[in-house]
Amino acid sequence: MNANNPVIQTENLGKTYAKNRRETVQALKNLNLSVQPGEIFGYLGPNGAGKTTTIRILLDLIRPSDGRVAIFGQDAQQNSVELHKRIGFLPGELNLWKNLSGQQVVSYIGKVRGGVDLNYVRQLTNRLELDLSLKVRSYSSGNKRKLGLVIALMNKPDLLILDEPTNGLDPLMQQIFNEMMLEFQKDGRTVFLSSHILSEVQAICDRVGILRAGELRAVETVTNLTHANFRWVTVQLREKVDANQFVSVAGVSEVSAVDGGLKLRLSGDFDPLLRALNPYYVAKMEVAEPSLEEIFLTYYGNGSRVQGQQGKEVVK
Amino acid sequence: MNGTVFMETLRRSWRGALYWGLGFGFYALMLMLVVQDANILKQYGEIAKAFPPALMQLFGGDVTALATPEGFLAYGFFGYLLLIFAVYAIMSGLNITANDEDQGILDVVLSLPLARMRLMLEKFLAYTLLTVFIIACAYVGLIAGLQFSALEVDSSKLLQSTFNMLPSSLLMLAFTALAGALFRRKGTATAVASLFVVGSYFLNFLGEAASSTVFEPLRQLSFFHYYDHNGVVQHGLSWGNIGILSVVTVVCVAAALWLFERRDVGV
Repeated sequence: MNANNPVIQTENLGKTYAKNRRETVQALKNLNLSVQPGEIFGYLGPNGAGKTTTIRILLDLIRPSDGRVAIFGQDAQQNSVELHKRIGFLPGELNLWKNLSGQQVVSYIGKVRGGVDLNYVRQLTNRLELDLSLKVRSYSSGNKRKLGLVIALMNKPDLLILDEPTNGLDPLMQQIFNEMMLEFQKDGRTVFLSSHILSEVQAICDRVGILRAGELRAVETVTNLTHANFRWVTVQLREKVDANQFVSVAGVSEVSAVDGGLKLRLSGDFDPLLRALNPYYVAKMEVAEPSLEEIFLTYYGNGSRVQGQQGKEVVK
Repeated sequence: MNGTVFMETLRRSWRGALYWGLGFGFYALMLMLVVQDANILKQYGEIAKAFPPALMQLFGGDVTALATPEGFLAYGFFGYLLLIFAVYAIMSGLNITANDEDQGILDVVLSLPLARMRLMLEKFLAYTLLTVFIIACAYVGLIAGLQFSALEVDSSKLLQSTFNMLPSSLLMLAFTALAGALFRRKGTATAVASLFVVGSYFLNFLGEAASSTVFEPLRQLSFFHYYDHNGVVQHGLSWGNIGILSVVTVVCVAAALWLFERRDVGV
């Protein structure tokens, strides 16, 4: 394969499910996506956007209704068995045989894969602090996730496909996971990870594709995307103020009165707002990061405003 | 085919098969030991004469046969054993794909370099081997019991009758695998496979009991008709019947492979 050829290439990919006998649901519409060698690509979107559907098509677990997928330049359906030798996969919801121990699962999957380096498996389990002697049924969701990561990484794949990989991992393990992904990338390997958590993709991804209602709305570098540069600011004041007097403050928009204060959208620097608040006693100020949807809508300009915030921090 | 799935299936399922084998072997042994006087069969025959004709069909309809050692074994052992064995065959058939798919495990398994066809075939072959093992245990139980029983039965006929269970058992296994390949829901696959077994049993029973009605020709749609445990224990194997059952089994396996290869894996 030519080094510049995309690792994943989809052309007009579509998937339609039968909802019932009469109705169908279009889970994916005309998806044209290209993931380059050696990059960590974040596949972002709210639940139900079509992320898992895309991943399941990539792995030939389901078949597209339209279009085609090529991985490493080969048809993902026709050459699935050959391609799977080079792919590691962690599903969003990892289900394994509950009666087997982690060791038995790893051993079985290793045998099916063939040529797995047991020393490397040991390194992975040590790093993730995973005890393989326990039965799968006794694993916590975090440990199950770690086992899934071991299974996905054990064959040192050229392409790693991860569906919501850090679900259930504690912050320390998330950090280790991020380090592992960056090391993985350093080796020239490619990661395709789906998430609905902006901070996760911000930390490690080079580019991000945003999926919404089955359509790829944008592909951007993380740097560009996170420069949407606005915050939701909620200010609690001791005295009542007229919300309208803040409309003219530089960078402030969508001002509304809330219980005991104001809620507004702030673009750019804080200074103009802080100066405008100077005459008042500020009891509390909350700054919330915009949600991924909000960033997306701001960046690509789509009139409607979407509720929902994340990454809250409090400034007292 | 590198046999990893085959070996893993054997590794996970041999204990279950051993319990089934021991159960069948013990049942066979007990059945042989219970007859300590050959005259008891004649008494059975006399009692059976008083049964209503429809009830007699449950025993194959032939009273004189019931009074022979072969007839006794056909009615008391081989007739019921296949019906009991259907539980194992359906459970094993569901293990081929339906259970893993229902639990969401197939996503991980099929993300490995493992063709769907290979997965199904290796599991089917592993359960075929376990089925042979269980049937062999039943035969061992019969032969062991024969040493201490008043029954005098030709051991080659016992072997043929026991072997005669294999094609029907494999058909049930293959049909359940087909149901699992066709339907994404384990519950639906179980219901369809159970209906197939129970429906076949009653179709055959009704065809025998009401021989001058529409059910008589419909018997030919039931695999129990081709199992013909009475005929085999009396006259030996019918290769024609075995051929028919084997062809249908191969068709079921081929259809299951074809369908599973082409459809989406359920979430």
